[in-house]
Amino acid sequence: MEALQKFYRENRTLVTWLMVAAVFIVFYLLTQERLNSLRPSRMVQTTITGLLVGGVYALIALGIVLINKASGVFNFAQGYMMLFGGMLFYSFFSTPNVNPLAAGALAFGTVLMVLAMNGWRELRNLRSLGIGVAAVVVLTLLMSWQGEDVRMLRAIVGGITGSVFVGLFIERFTIRPLIGQPLFTMVLMTLAVSEILKGFVNLIWGSVPISLQIFSGLERLGLPNTIRWEAEFLQGRVVVRTDLLVTFFLALAAFVGFVLFFRYTNVGLAMRASAENQQLAQSVGLRVRVILAVAWGITAILAMLAGVLQGGASQLDLNLPFVAFSAFPAVLLGGLESITGALVGGLIIGLVQDWGNLLYGNQAGTELMPYLVLMIVLIIRPDGLFGEKRIERI
Amino acid sequence: MASNIRPAGVFDTSYAQDMKINRTRTSRFLANAAFVAVLLLPLLTAEGGLGLSVVPAVWVGIVVRIAIYTIAVIGLNILMGYTGQISLGHAAFVGVGAYSGALMARLWGIPFWIAVPLAGLFTALVGLLFGLPSLRVKGFYLAMATLAAQFIIPWLMRYPMERLTNGSRPLEVPDPQFFGFSFGPQVVMYYLIIPLAVLMAFLARNLTRSRVGRALISVRDNDLAAELLGINVFRYKLLAFFVSSFYAGVAGALWAFDIGSLSLDKFNLALSIEFLAMLIIGGAGFPLGPLFGVAFINILRENIIPNVVSNFKVVLPNVFPFIAVADVESSLVPFLFGLALVIFLIVEPRGLAYRWEILRIAWKIRPYAY
Repeated sequence: MEALQKFYRENRTLVTWLMVAAVFIVFYLLTQERLNSLRPSRMVQTTITGLLVGGVYALIALGIVLINKASGVFNFAQGYMMLFGGMLFYSFFSTPNVNPLAAGALAFGTVLMVLAMNGWRELRNLRSLGIGVAAVVVLTLLMSWQGEDVRMLRAIVGGITGSVFVGLFIERFTIRPLIGQPLFTMVLMTLAVSEILKGFVNLIWGSVPISLQIFSGLERLGLPNTIRWEAEFLQGRVVVRTDLLVTFFLALAAFVGFVLFFRYTNVGLAMRASAENQQLAQSVGLRVRVILAVAWGITAILAMLAGVLQGGASQLDLNLPFVAFSAFPAVLLGGLESITGALVGGLIIGLVQDWGNLLYGNQAGTELMPYLVLMIVLIIRPDGLFGEKRIERI
Repeated sequence: MASNIRPAGVFDTSYAQDMKINRTRTSRFLANAAFVAVLLLPLLTAEGGLGLSVVPAVWVGIVVRIAIYTIAVIGLNILMGYTGQISLGHAAFVGVGAYSGALMARLWGIPFWIAVPLAGLFTALVGLLFGLPSLRVKGFYLAMATLAAQFIIPWLMRYPMERLTNGSRPLEVPDPQFFGFSFGPQVVMYYLIIPLAVLMAFLARNLTRSRVGRALISVRDNDLAAELLGINVFRYKLLAFFVSSFYAGVAGALWAFDIGSLSLDKFNLALSIEFLAMLIIGGAGFPLGPLFGVAFINILRENIIPNVVSNFKVVLPNVFPFIAVADVESSLVPFLFGLALVIFLIVEPRGLAYRWEILRIAWKIRPYAY
């Protein structure tokens, strides 16, 4: 045992890479037979579908990375925030005449939470109160704008308002009181929040699956439902669903948009600064509390976006949050602190899922493979592909 | 997180006093009285044989369930409360214990009293395997590794091992046999499980106040400092995983023999979260924490929430017409459970056991305020 430990210590890199090689060889031997019997068209199909599904994972992973960077909390409630956002979007999308009272209440709640981000004292400030009242009026008017034609606008405004409210509410009343508590208290808190959201969504929208027809406009634009591709070397045909393609590009666009936001705006810069070192950020005059609240609000918007896209591609029901459980490995694969990592990890997990389902069946891809990847990542490279190397000081 | 809070000025004066489990006469009296009361409980029911029906018969089942859960949560307490390693996969380990115990009895006819510890040992080995990442990662990373166990283990049991475990269909467990004597009725199981639970709790208490326990606590408080003090951190982390999974396995096997029919859906993530909630609400790192947490959550789940829900069932659909009656129960149960957890975490994040310690001190130094 001693000799073994000594050998391991001296040849750590070699041993690690030998283990990686062994895993790959075993993997190849296990799948060789199955791979040879597959037609190239199936492989191309699986690769494309996997990548397209991975776009949504990248969005979910971005939300989790954002919260983790800003406040050091791993948000297990992301899946249920996603479901909630999607359901809210659906409500505004499918109801032709929204009750102005309900819309007003929602707008009021959101504006109140936004104003009180730094503390309730802000409400005494007449100028911000005036801006708040104006915002409530504008939001209410936008949300209760009647008619089929503006339903997309209405749904986007309503969805963003509602999810910002939920994000700020969660931060204010569950995360903020726990600052300074041990890690597993925080873990349990996000899990408890997801239980509450689950119950709430089930209560309001019921447990019947809802189909969100956000891609019905594509047909009117003259786009086909599916794109087919046939070629000699494929020995078959590759079918790509247009809505998945649109979902992927929307997710990618949102991703790029948020990355640009973090890089080039003042708020984004402040967020990155407070993620780097909270005390230092506070000492140069940044309001860290506000920044944390903003991070939660943005994460809620990201979750809503992911929920809408995923719900549009499949359907909205209580199983939707399990998509987020597949995105957790994507976060760790890319690295807990890395935004690039979220994208790469999401795409890889999407690929791994679809290939797993193709090769092994039995839901292996959906349920097993992401977590197998997670275990391998944790053992070989715990910081993920792009994560910061953690150096511990005493 | 001190496990023994004492009023200022109270010190141990001898080694024997330091080693005592019940330090004062009051606490010894309370412990003994509780033990006797629990042992007498089945005799006081209608089925007890004494002809008394002071206590409803359902209490026997409730106490057995609390005892089984407590064994599992004591395991989690050793891992999380004392060693500081988060586990989100405890339900999977309980499931491994339940299925391995049941399969031992089914396939090889191993008697009950051998199958339970063997199931514990087997689960401990599985837990060791999933504890391996703790060599390199901690915090959220480790939580994710144990979450991986929660997804990988049930999948393995459901699909590749379907011929053994019946997959998604329930698995019948034979009645436990003890030298040819079969334990059918619940009362006999009661007298088997309760002493076993007390024994396991006693062993855990002894483990945590020995050298091993102090090493575990030092790993929790600062693992780098512990390593510098000469404690083999990796070995103690793995030991914590081993012991914790052993407790989970024993609890699972007892559960299997108690209810007699297993289904894989029970050992899901929700149960893991419930274990976590029990531990943290009870008080992680306190010897009495698991018992308090399990009792509280069980009462909340089985008594308080159903009562509240049955009231809301009528009111809610009347007030809000868009709410369907069928959804009220399935949605209010997680909602209220989550709400109770949130309130508890904000108001008393150190748990019920901490409150209990404070209460004890207040009692000890009465009439002065603490």
